[in-house]
Amino acid sequence: MSTSPASPQALQDALSRANQHWNAGQLGPAEQLCQQVLAAWPGQPDALHLLGLMAHGLGNLDLAIQHVRAACQAPRAPALYFSNLAEMCRQRGLLAEAETAGRRAVSMNNALPGAWNNLGIILQERGSYAESRSCLERSLTLHPDNVEVLNNLGNTCLRLGLVAEAERHWQRALALRPGYAQPHSNLAFLLNARGEHDRAAEHAQEAIDIEPRLADAYVNLAAAETARGRHTQALHWLDGLLVFAPGHGIGLAARAMALQALGQPEAALDAARRAVEAAPHSDEARNMLGLCLRDSGRTEPALAAFAEARSLGGPAAPRAALNHATLLAETGRVAEARQALAAALVVHPRVGALWHASLEMQPADAEVVERLDALLAEAEAPQERLVLHFALGKALLELGEDDRGFHHLGAGNALKRATLRYDAGAMAAGLRAAREVPEVPGEADPLPVFILGLPRAGMALVEQVLAAHPSLHGAGALPHVAALAARPEALGAEYLARVRPLAEGRRHVLDRVPLLHAGLLHRALPAARFIHVARDALDLGFACHARLFAEDLPFAYEPGELRAYLTEASALAEHWRASLPAAQWLEVRYEDLVRDLEGQARRMLEFLGLPWHAGCLAFHRRRGRVAGTGAWRLRTPLDAGRIGLGQRYAGHLAALGL
Amino acid sequence: MTLEEAEQQARALAGAGHVEQAAQVLQQVLAGGNGPAPMWRFLAVLLKHLHRMEDAKAIQDMLVRHFPGDLPMRFDLAETLLLTGDFRRGWREYRWRYSLDHTKAMERRVQRQRWEGEAVPGRTLLVHDEQGYGDTFQFLRLLPETRRRSGARLVLEVNHETLELARRSGLGVDEMLPRGTLPPPFDLHCEMMSLPQALGLRLEDLPGPMPYLLPDPARVAKWRDRLAGLPRPIVALCWAGRPTHHNDANRSMTLADLAPLGMPGVSFITVQKGPAAEQAKAPPPGMAMTPTSDEILDFDDTAAIAQVADLLISVDSSPVHLFGATGGAAWVMLPHLPDWRWLLGRDNTPWYPRHRLFRQPRPGDWPAVVQAMAQALATLRDAA
Repeated sequence: MSTSPASPQALQDALSRANQHWNAGQLGPAEQLCQQVLAAWPGQPDALHLLGLMAHGLGNLDLAIQHVRAACQAPRAPALYFSNLAEMCRQRGLLAEAETAGRRAVSMNNALPGAWNNLGIILQERGSYAESRSCLERSLTLHPDNVEVLNNLGNTCLRLGLVAEAERHWQRALALRPGYAQPHSNLAFLLNARGEHDRAAEHAQEAIDIEPRLADAYVNLAAAETARGRHTQALHWLDGLLVFAPGHGIGLAARAMALQALGQPEAALDAARRAVEAAPHSDEARNMLGLCLRDSGRTEPALAAFAEARSLGGPAAPRAALNHATLLAETGRVAEARQALAAALVVHPRVGALWHASLEMQPADAEVVERLDALLAEAEAPQERLVLHFALGKALLELGEDDRGFHHLGAGNALKRATLRYDAGAMAAGLRAAREVPEVPGEADPLPVFILGLPRAGMALVEQVLAAHPSLHGAGALPHVAALAARPEALGAEYLARVRPLAEGRRHVLDRVPLLHAGLLHRALPAARFIHVARDALDLGFACHARLFAEDLPFAYEPGELRAYLTEASALAEHWRASLPAAQWLEVRYEDLVRDLEGQARRMLEFLGLPWHAGCLAFHRRRGRVAGTGAWRLRTPLDAGRIGLGQRYAGHLAALGL
Repeated sequence: MTLEEAEQQARALAGAGHVEQAAQVLQQVLAGGNGPAPMWRFLAVLLKHLHRMEDAKAIQDMLVRHFPGDLPMRFDLAETLLLTGDFRRGWREYRWRYSLDHTKAMERRVQRQRWEGEAVPGRTLLVHDEQGYGDTFQFLRLLPETRRRSGARLVLEVNHETLELARRSGLGVDEMLPRGTLPPPFDLHCEMMSLPQALGLRLEDLPGPMPYLLPDPARVAKWRDRLAGLPRPIVALCWAGRPTHHNDANRSMTLADLAPLGMPGVSFITVQKGPAAEQAKAPPPGMAMTPTSDEILDFDDTAAIAQVADLLISVDSSPVHLFGATGGAAWVMLPHLPDWRWLLGRDNTPWYPRHRLFRQPRPGDWPAVVQAMAQALATLRDAA
């Protein structure tokens, strides 16, 4: 080792030994030999390349790129150096340089092990999925049993929407190497998308067991928990991820989502801000920040965050575009919302959720139906198919094709139902048990006015009309009652403490609350008033059946279950009406409201002891956001077309048992 | 009491040696099942010191289930599992030993796959030692089985000081080379301390064929001559480990601490190396001492002494393993909470059938250990 590598032979010898030391993990002598070579021949490319590999192995990516870049400057630098430079640049996020180097490598030697694979992942990250796929397939012909290639190919196929093929590649990788964590995590992602959350969780757990620091697996496991309504568990896995990856953008974003689901909006907003700070290029993080800002009433910053997420162009872009357009509509900017959706559909013409939203805001035509049919024929994932079914159902009913429309609504409902876990018996028992109200301390404050009723009965409309009054604050559907119901003894005081700051001097705060808790609310807040909104049963049944809810309403997707729920819940509403003091309970019929807005508005204000305010009639021009499924319709004046749809479809509804 | 206050109080109590009270303080504030992970981790350490291994293991297991990606916690669990004899899970978690802050830089990054115990006939497997000399002596026993199981051409890279001893012993190895030198081309590699996991080593597989390291006959002859005049039994002493070992304060003592061992009819020599060897020049009164440390040039001398002397009395240090591997007998002085390899609640060890363990009955109580040994030594002398 002491011979000075001055002669070409000695130099070759030193380089060969340096390589062998490197292979054996003996970095000291490997580096020493490289430095000797470079002393004798400054810029010697093989020595530089090896130093680059060493720096990479020790985690110094910038130094590694610097060395390998310099090695590639040599006229006779081999394809391998370009291929390694490509991969290092990819890891550093230098995708343009990575692509150039990767292409150079395969053009110099099209049989180099790993070169097609490296180029394939780079193209995947650049969004050139079709070419990525052909590179990875080419790599696979050179190394048919290479599990890393199979894993990458699966990822590219998934992005191309080729779900079954992706799954096949991952399964094959696992058959070849069962202890390979990555395909387990990828399968978890796929199974989540398909609604198979139990199996998704199993695969994610397996991945973590094999490789406890595989970040994606934690995100996928948390997603499986969230989808199963286990938000605390989801939060827990995300905390586990952040223990070793404190700046993980998607993990932080998912954490914000879990906090939001747990009814901690301020903590969620804080988490989302941290996510964007830690991962400024993450579309998921920006989209999440948008959602948190939106839910804390900061509309303009929320719109900006959605727009930024949309323009980052990652997997969250279509969702961000949808959130952007929906928020525009919900805050009364319906024309802008339509434009935004149209623009989003140009960029993402295959995203069913965008078509679905677009049909909410403008009339259907035959062309739309044709496009949706074509999309449905190609779509594989049930989550994607069910959205298309609902969109088609709505469009076809509008165009008078009732049979086809109901066929699609039925298919959409069935697919949605298959993604849910719902115990109808437990729900019915819960609704009945709610009549037994526990003794709790009462806080006699008239501040809260609770609006309740069956889903789609028109509670948001009632809130909108009333919220236009200067003495009333419309708070939307606050999460507090559902969250505090578990601690009924603290409900009254705690609820008032949370809601009082919203009033800002106004006399009442309007809150849309679950029907289930009316009895308890009356005990805990004995001075509160209730407005119950009722609607024609047939219209209600149709409205629920035709609707893909944004909210979590698991009973709504199977006609028998829906009917049972509506019957049971109506009985509970009747029970509350009969047992709560008449002076504090007002019945409002949706049909009356639509036919005679002013008369009903006057009636409600009278019930609340407030003077008349003409602005209530112009509720749709009110500033601020109206949230909830289809709430953008509250941005248009009422028309009688909203009444009697149940009669029109009576035959189809009867066939469904609704 | 807030969590922070409790932690401060517990650390102060533990620092002053009141481990039981410290654990109580933590258990009270953590009773609800909530609390930050580092506090639970600290509680587990305290419980281990109190020998409440099942409680400690339950906490560490809970932490690993909650934070699977926290690798130092997994290593904590590995040590407890091995200490309690759960080799199956213990070796699996032991793979995280290079994921701790102070070990990260020590991991050897070999550019080949790790051997997982599979048959790989016709290929070349590089096994390389790691960590201390004692570990190497202890785990060299696994090489013949590694050779048999893999069917590979076996190359061993081992520290310079052990190389001659390993070469002489064969161990089924095809080629041996000193650490840091260039190995021949190889297909797979395995760290020596990963062999137990690859081989699925069970407690009942121990000790394996004994002895497995062979001393140099010339050195044995040299030491037979050197010690010929000494009355038997001849007892070799080692009272301090390598001072840079992370647990040295817990395992090392001074020669003066061993004074009660000095008794008529017993000859003492020293195999102590390093700065502590100086102490042999002024032995405790009544101890018939022949300082031999300076005459020990390498491990071949120590291995030869193991053949000539009757017994080694030592703290937990490498001579214990060298005596064991070459068939010598040793009495090992262990701290109250010993290293995982000595297990718990037994005065023998499956690793070395001729060894006998003397454990501290309570933390820091070396005098009781030495007292018990003095009695046993008198019995040994009288039986001779």
